[in-house]
Amino acid sequence: MENREVKIHPVKYRTYVFVWMGLVILTGLTYTVAVGIHPAGWAIFVALAIAGTKSGLVLNYFMHLKSERLVIFKVIIPLVMAVFLVFILLTFSDVAFRGVVK
Amino acid sequence: MTSTGAMESIRPRISFYEDHGKYRGILSWILTLDHKRIGLLYFIFVMAFFFSGVVLGFFMRLQMLAPGTIMKPQTYNSLFTLHGIIMIFLVVIPAIPTIFGNFFLPIQIGARDVAFPRINLLSWWLYITGAIIVVISVFTGGGPPDTGWTFYAPYSLRTTVNVPLAVFGVFILGMSSILTGINLVTTTHRLRAPGMTWNRLPLFVWAIYSTSWVQILVTPVIGITLILIIMERFFGVGVFDPAKGGDPILYQHMFWIYSHPATYIMILPAMGVISDVVPVFARKRIFGYMAIAISGVAIAAVGSLVWGHHMFVSGQSDFADILFSLLTFLVAIPSAIKVFNWVATLYKGSIVIEPPLLFCLAFIFLFSIGGLTGLIQGALAPNMHLHDTYWIPGHFHYIIFGGMGFGLFAAFHYWFPKMFGRMYNRKMAMRAWAVMLVGFNIFYFSMLLLGWEGMPRRYYDYLPQFRSLHLTATFGSWILIAGLILMFANLFRGLFKGEKAEDNPWGGATLEWQIPSPPPTENFEKIPGIRHGPHDFKELENNG
Amino acid sequence: MALMILRSLKIMDEAKEAVFEEARDYTGAKLGMWLFILSELLLFGGMFILYSGYRYKNPADFHHASRELEVVLGTLNTIILLTSSLSVATSIAAIQKGQRKLSMVLLMATMALGLLFLANKGFEWGTKIEHGIYPNSPTLLARSKGEILFFGLYYVMTGLHGLHVLVGVCVFSVMLILIAKGTLNQMRFVPLENAGLYWHLVDIIWIFLYPLFYLIT
Repeated sequence: MENREVKIHPVKYRTYVFVWMGLVILTGLTYTVAVGIHPAGWAIFVALAIAGTKSGLVLNYFMHLKSERLVIFKVIIPLVMAVFLVFILLTFSDVAFRGVVK
Repeated sequence: MTSTGAMESIRPRISFYEDHGKYRGILSWILTLDHKRIGLLYFIFVMAFFFSGVVLGFFMRLQMLAPGTIMKPQTYNSLFTLHGIIMIFLVVIPAIPTIFGNFFLPIQIGARDVAFPRINLLSWWLYITGAIIVVISVFTGGGPPDTGWTFYAPYSLRTTVNVPLAVFGVFILGMSSILTGINLVTTTHRLRAPGMTWNRLPLFVWAIYSTSWVQILVTPVIGITLILIIMERFFGVGVFDPAKGGDPILYQHMFWIYSHPATYIMILPAMGVISDVVPVFARKRIFGYMAIAISGVAIAAVGSLVWGHHMFVSGQSDFADILFSLLTFLVAIPSAIKVFNWVATLYKGSIVIEPPLLFCLAFIFLFSIGGLTGLIQGALAPNMHLHDTYWIPGHFHYIIFGGMGFGLFAAFHYWFPKMFGRMYNRKMAMRAWAVMLVGFNIFYFSMLLLGWEGMPRRYYDYLPQFRSLHLTATFGSWILIAGLILMFANLFRGLFKGEKAEDNPWGGATLEWQIPSPPPTENFEKIPGIRHGPHDFKELENNG
Repeated sequence: MALMILRSLKIMDEAKEAVFEEARDYTGAKLGMWLFILSELLLFGGMFILYSGYRYKNPADFHHASRELEVVLGTLNTIILLTSSLSVATSIAAIQKGQRKLSMVLLMATMALGLLFLANKGFEWGTKIEHGIYPNSPTLLARSKGEILFFGLYYVMTGLHGLHVLVGVCVFSVMLILIAKGTLNQMRFVPLENAGLYWHLVDIIWIFLYPLFYLIT
């Protein structure tokens, strides 16, 4: 394997603190919204949206995905999301349509 | 193939066999970090399990030779369960990636080893651990599993045999598979030699790369499913148990979300072998390099969307039936592209008849039959009739054994001289091939006919109307086994008594043929700079 | 007070950047870890698929069962884990700036928070078990199918998650020793960074588990 020189720019501490504050606020939001959403059917999508946002913050800032340059790092999270989405949707093509005769 | 600038020169060339590193004797093998030694360790054990799987199959066919029975029904259930578990999880899924992927992927990209050599060793140890656990499950806790390798709930939750241990063994094997996938993807991304761009990679590397992605992404799903079976049996969790609200069909979804893509983990590497070997023996570059590379990725992707075709009669919704059937038809397209491209490569090539090519030709023929029968059963109406009959094992043995198996044997015969520095008897190899091909078709085509006639699978006995086809099938299986014995005996003999092989007996243009047979530990004296693709035979011939 | 904290953070920020030679492939090591993370996401993903199917089929039962969980504890645990992610991220930044002692303190804080999380979880489980709600218990089996499924999924998913937290704490203890010995330092810290990635994964999984189990309206 080759030797390469890599400049590491450590992230500023305050960036992490701000992200953490955002996460705590979003947690509070998800809690208050959960009790307040009508109709209840939409609640899960709102909850997932907030959870997704929180995860995005963790992925991009705590896990440094935002500062990764190589294409592969930009691809992997969308890839796993797509895979998971497809698995759920196709499973639901069964679960949600039982007893419906085509 | 010239090497250009950069990189240190390594110590004088001794083969990796002689260079044992820190340890002596057996420790220098089981504690090795050399990808080539690890590949050979897998070789030994994968073959050992293949032989045990064949023996189990032999007894299954003996039972089915004539109506009546020579064993208890429970024994037969365990035989086909174990045959499936061993063949699928211990042989077919690991074989090509762990043996030839490990041995040759680093060399083919111009690297000295994989990205994570210690993880590579760990993968092998996990494989051995999983295998031992599966073997132990045969002799303990109520006896070997009798559920079929598919472990369907709720039967797998209730049967008193040793399901938990067997299932746990498979879980460990899954971990091994995931780690191998991680290693090979990272290796391909990070360790390519200068100038080895993605469009100059051997197609075998493309195939292993696609396979590794599937291993990483879908194996965890069966991992969690197996854990849930264990949780249900020990703690009564209820996730698949109808008495507690669980849905056995959801079990099937979770199981097949892995196990269908697993069939692509099995076949893609074999297709990679074919794509590497055919051009060498046609002395011509592959027809449609990019099409083959991308079709491998497409097969991996679309193949992960079709799992419901194992469940057409399970009770899933009609809508899902239709959707999965449609997707199944789509996945045939990239496979057909590959077959077309291989044949187009041979067309107007300078064909050299050697054992590796013969196994490739057999692959193309047998895989095509397997693929076409797959389309027939992928259509809803025929599936109603064919599901759970002998048609299904007929189909998948054409694909797995005729496809992956013959691809594996092609790889043996192609890379044998490189790995061992010796050549086997080529005439004998071709004779063994012929015997196998004849036996194979008599055996498995009879199965297709049996299924068409309505013979159910996993039955230990049958009605008299099926007797002649069963007799024929068993007879074919004996011819096939004879061919296997001839083939392995020939290779084994070549290992010890074969002539010393040259560095490049076949005139291949990929990197492994530019280094000694067998290779030195560090693979290359200098890391080569790459200036052309994997099929540039002309330049090779110009350099003499 | 807040101003003082911010000012001291700024001073620490201005520690020298680390420039080092990659004796091994730093990016490759990270890539390997990320691929492992993908596999873990799908391991839990499998359970989320089951959860979604069963919740779809039993919406009222899931809602009813969810209200029996301690929302306050769940929310507290969420904050604990988010804070532990902060502490490990800053621990890595510290070691990159050569601030070894700070890095170790932050790492120990992360471990403490992890253990606190587990203690809370244990307490939650304990109260449920005391009330007779656990897999295969007569009390649970007497309830509706949807509720049995809810609690089955609850125990398995939070249990598997808790196991991952425990493993993370153990890995961090090894990292702590390596930092103390100087094996991990400003020039070589990728094992800690990878351990951090693992921990953030565990945090992300909980970010989804929390609303799906505790906040079903």
